[in-house]
Amino acid sequence: MLKQTLMGAAAALAMTAGLASAEELRFAGATPALTMDPHATNDFTTTAIFRQVYDSLIGLSQDMELTPALAESWEYIGDNTWRFTIREGVSFHDGSTMTAEDVAFSITRQKDSRFYRSLFGGVQEARVVDATTVDVISTGPDPILPRKMSRMFIISQDWAEENDVVEIPDLGADGAEAHSIRNAMGTGPMRLVSHDPSSETRFEAFGDYWDETPGNVTEATYLNIGSGPTRVAALMSGEVDLVVDLPLQDIGRIESAPGFTVAETPQLLWMQLEMDGTRDQALETFDHDGEPLAENPFRDTRVRRAIAHTVDAGLIAERVMRGKARVVGIASIPGFGGYQEDLDQRWETDLDRARELLTEAGYPDGFATTMNCPLERYVNTDEICRAAASMLARVGIEVRVNGMVWPEFARMLVNGPDSSFHLIGMTPDSRDTQDAFTGYIMTRDPDANEGFFNWALFSNPEIDERTRSLTQTFDNDERQALYRDLLTRARDAVNAVYLHQPMIIWGMRDGVDAPIRSDATVTLQNVTVE
Amino acid sequence: MIALIAQRIAQAIVVLFVVSVLAFLLSTQIGDPVASILGLQATPADRMALNARLGLDDPWPVRYLAFLSDVLRGDWGISYATQRPVAELVVERLPATLELAGVALVFSLGVGLPIGIYAAIHRGRPLADAILSLTVVGVSVPTFVIAILLIFVFSVVLGWLPSFGRGEVVQIGWWTTGLLTPSGLASLIMPAAALAVSQVALVARLVRAEMIEVLRTDYIRFARARGLKPRVIHLSLALRNTLIPVITVSGIQLGFLFAFAVVAEAVFQWPGIGMLFLQALGSTDVPVISAVLLLTAAFFVAVNMIVDLLYAVVDPRLRAGGATGRPAGA
Repeated sequence: MLKQTLMGAAAALAMTAGLASAEELRFAGATPALTMDPHATNDFTTTAIFRQVYDSLIGLSQDMELTPALAESWEYIGDNTWRFTIREGVSFHDGSTMTAEDVAFSITRQKDSRFYRSLFGGVQEARVVDATTVDVISTGPDPILPRKMSRMFIISQDWAEENDVVEIPDLGADGAEAHSIRNAMGTGPMRLVSHDPSSETRFEAFGDYWDETPGNVTEATYLNIGSGPTRVAALMSGEVDLVVDLPLQDIGRIESAPGFTVAETPQLLWMQLEMDGTRDQALETFDHDGEPLAENPFRDTRVRRAIAHTVDAGLIAERVMRGKARVVGIASIPGFGGYQEDLDQRWETDLDRARELLTEAGYPDGFATTMNCPLERYVNTDEICRAAASMLARVGIEVRVNGMVWPEFARMLVNGPDSSFHLIGMTPDSRDTQDAFTGYIMTRDPDANEGFFNWALFSNPEIDERTRSLTQTFDNDERQALYRDLLTRARDAVNAVYLHQPMIIWGMRDGVDAPIRSDATVTLQNVTVE
Repeated sequence: MIALIAQRIAQAIVVLFVVSVLAFLLSTQIGDPVASILGLQATPADRMALNARLGLDDPWPVRYLAFLSDVLRGDWGISYATQRPVAELVVERLPATLELAGVALVFSLGVGLPIGIYAAIHRGRPLADAILSLTVVGVSVPTFVIAILLIFVFSVVLGWLPSFGRGEVVQIGWWTTGLLTPSGLASLIMPAAALAVSQVALVARLVRAEMIEVLRTDYIRFARARGLKPRVIHLSLALRNTLIPVITVSGIQLGFLFAFAVVAEAVFQWPGIGMLFLQALGSTDVPVISAVLLLTAAFFVAVNMIVDLLYAVVDPRLRAGGATGRPAGA
C-alpha cells in the first residue's frame, strides 16, 4: 500500500517535471507598456517590451555593440546610400517568410513616424534592389545610420495590409482602436500572446526563431506594478521572478535577503547641469541683493569651470545615488559610438580653484540664481538639485531650487526654452557621440536641425564647425580623431557640468539568470529559469 | 415629489457642468500634452502638426465646446498615451473599481455596525470605549500605510494573499468580475480592507449615536416595561430605526470609496479607474483625465440624488417641505 502510494507520488512528480519544462518568467516594472506597435511610440519601457516580438534590422549585443540581425551585413556605397544585405530564411510568427519588401515597408513606415523623426527624419527612401538587398538613401551623408538601425523594427507587410495598419495609428483619430496596438507580427524570439496595457503582456517562445536562444524561457509575462514597495513585495513573496525597476532604498533589503540577487549596469543616460550660454541677461539670476547683474555670468567660461570644479559628482553618486551611479567626465558614455575611455576624466573638485576662477570672472562673492529641477522621470532629482545647490553655496553661488513636475518642465523647454540653469538627463537617441553634439551641444538652430535639445543655448562656433565635418566623415580613423577633439573641446568649454550615469537595477530570485543590458531590455531569449 | 425630483436633477446638471469646466481647465494647466506624447525629441514641425491635429491651438472656450459636444454625443475621444478609445478604457476599468468600492463598503458596514451597536448598548463601559477609540486609529493612519502594512504581513511574511493585481477574472458581458474565482477573491481582500478601515470609525460612531438616540425613545421604554428581552429590544426594535440614516450615509460613503479607491488602487496595482487616472496624470493624457473626473462627479451626484430621493420616500416631511430639509451629512 505504502509502496503504491510512493509510486503514485513518483509518477505524479514525473508528470509535473514534464510540465515544468514550460519555463515561465514573470517580470515586473514600474511603467506600463503602452502599445505593441513598434513605430507608434519611442517610450523607453515600451520599446524594451516590444523588442521581444520585433527584431531590429541591426541587432545589439549585451554590451550594446552592433551585431548582424535581420541585416547580415551593411556597407556604405556612396551617394548617401547604405546597402543592407537581408538575412534569408527568417520567419514571421505566422510562418510567412520575411522578405526585402517587408524590410523596405517597415523602414518607410517607421521613418514617417512622428516619434522617430530625430532618428530617421533624414531617411529619404528604402529601395528593394533584389531579394536580399535593400538600399537606404538619406538626404545627406549619414555615417551613423547603422547605429540608428538598431532601433528600426521590422513588421510584416502582409499582416499590416490585412489588418489595416499600413498607416501608423494616428493620435486624435476618430473611430476604433488600431489592430497593431494589441497585436503584433514580427520575427522576434518571443511571440505575443496577449497585451493588456492596464496590467500585463504575455509572450511565448517562438520555435522557428532564426538565431540561437541560449536561455530556456518558454513563457513570459510582463506585469506593470507602479508602486515601488508593492513591486518589491511581489518579488519577495515569489509572485514575480524579476523586478526591473528596483527602488534605490530597497536594494539593501533584497541583497541581504536570502534567495535573491541584484544586478546593475549603467543606464544609457547621464545627468548634467546646463547653463545659459547665449542670453545677455541670465533668467532669474541676480547679485546677492537681488539686483540684476551687468552680464550673464554663465556665458563666462571661467564661471562655468568654477561650477564644474564645485559640484562634486562623485559625492552625489555616492550619497544621493547610494553608489548606484557612474561618474561621467565627457559628453559620452560607454556603449556609445565614439566613446573615448582614456579621456573620461571629470574636472577635479577644487573649491579654491573655483573661487579663483569666480574672482577672475568678477564674481568674488558669487551671485544668486535659480535651478530648474525636473521631479520624477529621473532618479532622485530633487536630492541631486539640493546637493548641487548646497555645494555651490560654498563658493558663494546661492541657488534656489525650483522643482517642477515633468510635464511642466517639458513645457518650459519646448515652448521656450525658458531656463538659464537646470538639471536634465542626456539621452542621445542614436547612441552615438555624434548625436550628443548634433542634438545637444551645437548652437541651437532647429531649422537646420542643429542643437535641437540644446536647451540652455550653449554655443561654440569651433565645436559647431568640427561637428559638421564629423557628420560628413566616413573614415573610422578620421572619425576617432574628431570625436577626441570634440569631446576635449566640449569639456574645456564646459558645455554642461556632467554628473553621473544612473544604474539600472534589477532584483531577481535565485535560479533566475537574466543578463542585464544598458537599454533596460530583458532579452528573454537569454534568460534561464530554474 | 415631482418638483423635488426636477429640482435635484437641475442641481445635478449644474454640478456636472461646473465640474466639466474645472476638469477641462485643469487639463489645460497640468502641462503640454504634445510634449508628453512626442517627448522632447520631436521637431517643431511635428509638434505644431500634432497641436493642430488635436485642436490645441484654439482658444480654450472653443475647445471646451468641442469637448462638451463630443462628450454629449458619447464620444470621449482617444487616449493620447495608449491610443485607445477613452470610453473603452473606462468601461474596462469600471468593474474593478465598483467591485472594490462595493466590497469595501460591505467590510466597513460589517465591522462598523456591530461595534456601533455594542458601544451603544454598553455605553460607558471601558471595553466599549476602547473599541470605539481603536476605530479612530483607522481614520488617522493613511490608507497607503495600512495597505503597505497589509502587504508586508499577508504577502511577504505569511504568503497568504497576492500583493498586487486582480487575480483571475470572469467575463460576464462587458463586466469583468473577480468575485467568482478564488484568486480574484483573494486579491480583493487586502485592497478592500485597506480602503474600508478609514470608514469603519464613521459607521461605528454614527450607529452608536443613532442607537443611543433610539434607545431613549418612548417605545423602547414601553418595550422594556413590557419585559421584553433586551436582545429583542436591541436587535429587532432599536436597530431597525437606527438603520435608516445609516443606509443614507452608506450611499454617500460608496461615492467616497469610489473616489478614494485611487490610493488603494495605486498601492495594489488594482486595474481600476483610479489607476487609470494616475497613469493619465503622469502622461498628461487629457481626454482620460477629463473623462475620469467627469465620471467621478457623475457618480457622486447620482448617488447623492438617489439617496435624497430615497430619503424623501422614507420621510414624508421632506415631500411636503420641498428640498429644504436635506438630511445631515448628505
